[in-house]
Amino acid sequence: MTFDPMWLFYILVFPGVLFCFVGGTLLNGLDRKIYAKMQKRIGPPIAQPFYDFMKLMGKETIIPYEANRTVYMAAPVVGFIALVTTMLFLPIFGFHAFGGVNADMIVIIYLLTIPAVSLIVGGAASGSPYAGVGLSREMVAVISYELPLVIVLLAVGRKAGGDGVTFSLKAIADYQAANGALISHWSMIPAALAMLLVVPCEVGSHPFDVAEAETEICEGPLVEYSGAPLGVFKLNYYVKQLVCSALFSALFLGGKGTGMVALDAVIFYLECFVVTFFSTTLIRAITARLKVEQVFKFFWTVVAGLALVSLVLAWYGL
Amino acid sequence: MAFDFPFLKEALTQLFQKSSCEEYPFKPKEAFPRFRGRIVFHPEKCIKCGMCERVCAGGSISNVLVGTTEETELYERTFDLTSCTFCSYCADFCSTDAIELTPDFEHLMGTKHEELLVKGVYERKKRKPAAPKAAKPAAPKAEEKPAEAKEEEAEACAND
Amino acid sequence: MFDKLISKSAGKSPWLFHINAGSCNGCDIELVAVLTPRYDAERLGFRLAGTPRHADIVVVSGPLTAQIKDRVLRTIEQVPEPRCIVTLGSCPASGNVFKGSYSVVGPLSKYVDVDVDIAGCAAKPETILLGLHKAAQILEEKRAAMSKGGNK
Repeated sequence: MTFDPMWLFYILVFPGVLFCFVGGTLLNGLDRKIYAKMQKRIGPPIAQPFYDFMKLMGKETIIPYEANRTVYMAAPVVGFIALVTTMLFLPIFGFHAFGGVNADMIVIIYLLTIPAVSLIVGGAASGSPYAGVGLSREMVAVISYELPLVIVLLAVGRKAGGDGVTFSLKAIADYQAANGALISHWSMIPAALAMLLVVPCEVGSHPFDVAEAETEICEGPLVEYSGAPLGVFKLNYYVKQLVCSALFSALFLGGKGTGMVALDAVIFYLECFVVTFFSTTLIRAITARLKVEQVFKFFWTVVAGLALVSLVLAWYGL
Repeated sequence: MAFDFPFLKEALTQLFQKSSCEEYPFKPKEAFPRFRGRIVFHPEKCIKCGMCERVCAGGSISNVLVGTTEETELYERTFDLTSCTFCSYCADFCSTDAIELTPDFEHLMGTKHEELLVKGVYERKKRKPAAPKAAKPAAPKAEEKPAEAKEEEAEACAND
Repeated sequence: MFDKLISKSAGKSPWLFHINAGSCNGCDIELVAVLTPRYDAERLGFRLAGTPRHADIVVVSGPLTAQIKDRVLRTIEQVPEPRCIVTLGSCPASGNVFKGSYSVVGPLSKYVDVDVDIAGCAAKPETILLGLHKAAQILEEKRAAMSKGGNK
């Protein structure tokens, strides 16, 4: 492949860094505002995550004596890069920044693991016992949601693939453009529900925030982080929210689009917001934190079961 | 695992309701009646009986001599609000109502310790002759009083 | 430009860390009341942080007992600059009714620079909110002074 000057624009501006930053902080701000509304509060201003991020950028950065300096500082950045890369692969209706390759779904499965791994590695590098507890919990959470996520992707791939299983997000987007959004196919509804439950665990919000339970284990892997690296980790949470809901939108809420990329992007963002509302905000407002083993059990029985139902239905061509 | 969400309905209805917040720092607010807030001291009423100092649990009230004139002494009474429990005992025991607990809660916060001190200087007539003069009239009295069977008092005076 | 934005943000997103230094729990529940829907400190950006490393404002309540003094000072040291220290209630500022006890080594201002005193026994939530708002402003000033010192 030859170098295309549009790539820089893709990476730095539209589905890349700037879009992730602004979209992620805004999405999280809306999430917090609506969460507050549900509790009959006024809530923070919508730009609050942005303020948080800027403040953390300006704080003193303390690196613990026992920490491995390089890993400690690099972990959040690696996570952020992985998330931005994921965003680049997701189709926005008919628009593909870097998609359209044969098997980008597998890339996405791996890329979505990296932020969690960066959290684990960063926590381990800080050398705090609280971080140790937190990262072991994070590992359990990753194992919990990975299985349903893979089954959901398989089911979607099977549905969109026709005869075989497709691992290309472009094929899925094309299928949706031709046959309507996948969520309108009734056999995909259990998979969509499962994916809706995978999103909050992936993001680490209530009730699946076992890893960074601030009341029990002092925010888990983040316990020793301060200043700029913490700010980037917080940014990772915001962007993860955007990327996970964007993945849901790409898988289930695709369609023809309007043909204009800018308008498509706005509609896509609204879809992300709706997904965030149902998957994160609503669930966060009405539930309390689960225990580690409860999360694991829930995901491997209920959520994986839902996804499996869809897979079986899709396999029989329904 | 149970799958009932008792707050689902509540969360969704409250989403469209007005918030129950009090926007306090941006909108002024009155304390409820009889709230015991910042102390106001009326020095002109004080008679230096010392009752408030006596009943204060936190030991927040002090009384210092700050100056003297020909006939009077100047005292400064200080209420240290950072040591106050706002129990209102001082105001209750004050026989001249010189101490008052206002419903002002906004000035119970400060960046310096001085902001939380309530001070008042008051004048008080000098006591009738102090130790040396008192000793002279006391001496003849001491001779009279035994007849009245008040030896202890007389001794106390003599010791003064 | 960024310095100005960061200073402004510092005042808009102050995260609290609460230390109970032998408090009777009166002030502690009032602090929690500030975060409830009625007073909703989150609309000013306040949030309870789980660890001192994330905090901007340290709220100390209680008369500072001999056992906890070293721990409080160590926790305050762990908070990254710029930081603000707020004494909540009458106890940490003076010792209140516990002053003179063999086990109380307060006031806190003997050991660290206290930025805001909030009086009251227990402090009224409105007073706490006002005090924390003041502390957030001080935080903004501190951050502005820090960036000036850093740039030279």
